[in-house]
Amino acid sequence: MPGATTETTTGAVELHRVTKHYGAQTAVDDLTLEIRPGEFLSLLGPSGCGKTTTLRMIAGFEHPDAGDILISGRSVLGTPPYRRDVNTVFQAYALFPHMTVAENVAYGLQQRRTPRAELRERVSQALDMVQMRGFADRKPTQLSGGQQQRVALARALVNRPAVLLLDEPLGALDRQLREEMQLELKLLQSQLGITFVFVTHDQDEALSMSDRIAVMRDGRIEQLADAQTVYQRPVSAYVAAFVGKQNFFDGTVTADGGAVEAPSAVLRPTDGITAVAAGQPARAAVRPEFVELGIDPPSAAVNRAEGEVIGVAHLGEMRQFLVQLDESTALLSRRPAPHSPDLTVGQRVWASWRPESVQVFARGTATTDTSGYMPPPTIHSDEQDHPAHP
Amino acid sequence: MRRLRLPGLALALPAWVWLAVFFIAPVAVVFWYSFGYKPGLFGTHATDRLSFDRYLEVLTPTFFDTFVATMNIALTGTALCFLIGAPMAYWMAVKAPPSWRGLLLALVLVPFWTNFLVRTIGWQVILSPEGWLSQAAQTLGLPAFDILYTRGAVLLGVVYNYLPLMILPLYVAFDRVGEPLREASRDLGAGRFRTLWRVTLPLARPGIVVGVLLVYIPLMGDYITATVLGGAKGNMVGQLVAAQFQTAQNWALGSAMAITLIVIIVLSAAAVGAALWLVSWPLRRSYRVRLDSGVTQ
Repeated sequence: MPGATTETTTGAVELHRVTKHYGAQTAVDDLTLEIRPGEFLSLLGPSGCGKTTTLRMIAGFEHPDAGDILISGRSVLGTPPYRRDVNTVFQAYALFPHMTVAENVAYGLQQRRTPRAELRERVSQALDMVQMRGFADRKPTQLSGGQQQRVALARALVNRPAVLLLDEPLGALDRQLREEMQLELKLLQSQLGITFVFVTHDQDEALSMSDRIAVMRDGRIEQLADAQTVYQRPVSAYVAAFVGKQNFFDGTVTADGGAVEAPSAVLRPTDGITAVAAGQPARAAVRPEFVELGIDPPSAAVNRAEGEVIGVAHLGEMRQFLVQLDESTALLSRRPAPHSPDLTVGQRVWASWRPESVQVFARGTATTDTSGYMPPPTIHSDEQDHPAHP
Repeated sequence: MRRLRLPGLALALPAWVWLAVFFIAPVAVVFWYSFGYKPGLFGTHATDRLSFDRYLEVLTPTFFDTFVATMNIALTGTALCFLIGAPMAYWMAVKAPPSWRGLLLALVLVPFWTNFLVRTIGWQVILSPEGWLSQAAQTLGLPAFDILYTRGAVLLGVVYNYLPLMILPLYVAFDRVGEPLREASRDLGAGRFRTLWRVTLPLARPGIVVGVLLVYIPLMGDYITATVLGGAKGNMVGQLVAAQFQTAQNWALGSAMAITLIVIIVLSAAAVGAALWLVSWPLRRSYRVRLDSGVTQ
């Protein structure tokens, strides 16, 4: 079939050993990433990890100090933003306040000198797609945040770009709207088949929508995998802590290399520890949803610990318990509400978890010991990991 | 118990009182005098007989010629200030490193730290044929400088004196447009000039209007710059008005001139605005997007 080769590369984005400095600060550090055509890829990480800079380099607003960026198989290094086959949905939407909704959406088509009839047709379709057709003649200031979000999406998609870049587009929405938009975005993406590159610091967002997630740290990619792998097989304690909640136990690997011995518990994974040598410091992790609780000592369980319930929270479909193991260690457990034991604060309980739920990571000797539940790294909502004027 | 509620207008009361006492009342008095007459050698005005005679007196060829010359200087000066000030303001708000901005704004305001008359006379010294500029030119083998008392010298002084009034509102306007909107425009396929034309300038329009009026209106009444740097050729309409009040002691005629001047300033500003609106109408029409209603709702 003629043209088959170009079809397969349209929408592919390739970053090859890309580095970007701002003064002495390295925002993106020798990053290599291949984004497949038609893929929904999330760049996930805390503020300052370089994810927004990476996106802005793909859009053309920033230029890498080293390395190459290819869009649909062609290097875009000298190409200005207005000649790249990508469009961006900006964090604060950046809708033009002096134009109506329809004019905002038409703007990109007008730049390409689209004939009037076709322009109207495509603007209508784009507005229909995001259910904003009835608001065509409004000004952006007359719209709610969610509506502005939809217009921003239509304004980008109407140009039929090969790649759509989304810079924390849901950050300003309230929770319910955000979850709704997540579903809609995913649906749109699978209908249109356009490559989506989605920047977020919200792990739930990344997990719920992405085909693959690139977890970033200090300008590099820590792990690149599908949501399930990132969640179940994190390559480092950093990824484990960032994606989902975790109970961490800092200890040392036992002499037989089969378990991590921490002050409050001994954690034994399925088959021996390969990541860390015997006698070395290690960090073991168990997710709260794998921690079972019971009044009686669990006879068969290899991994168990006794403690006192110090907190019970009802999260709708889940129930959450906080169990104090020793003075410095609290363990978090989440059980589906219908099956959760009826425990009250002050009760003595046994916690247990299966060997296959235990993950072991290397731990530098310099890092301080932490044990028990650890919240994900602190995130600032006003994410800005690059200076406005480098 | 009901709380005492002040109407919002109360906050603006001091400003209204100020405007009423120091602006509306004086203009009303001038308006009133303009229908009177000069009662004799030692009287300045009388209003026991009212007529339009003073307005007929205003429309003499002298006044008309001076008026056209004034308008010429004012319009050219405003245009020059805009053409020089707009790129400067744009550069300050968009291109210059943010850390420089405070310093740049201070530099723009530096001329205001000196008395208006003094800095205008300063230019007289520089531009005179014996001035250092001319002498420097002569040392380089160029002919003596002779631009003092020319239209060029007047315009130079006008730009020098009024440029900050243009730059400041434009700077604020360009700054408020913000980088995200310019980025969005470029992301959607518009180059730098299209972005300037379709996003930055339309959004900066209120600032542009303020800047133009802030230069044009005082310039229509200013005669110091023109007199100092233009000499006899720099006769401005403001000077005629002042002469009626101060030298001729004919307040009635002076008032009629002042009112005529006010009316013409307002009308000319409105005319320019309307002309721009009309000329840009086809362009704005071409950018407008109206979807056929009722297709799908």
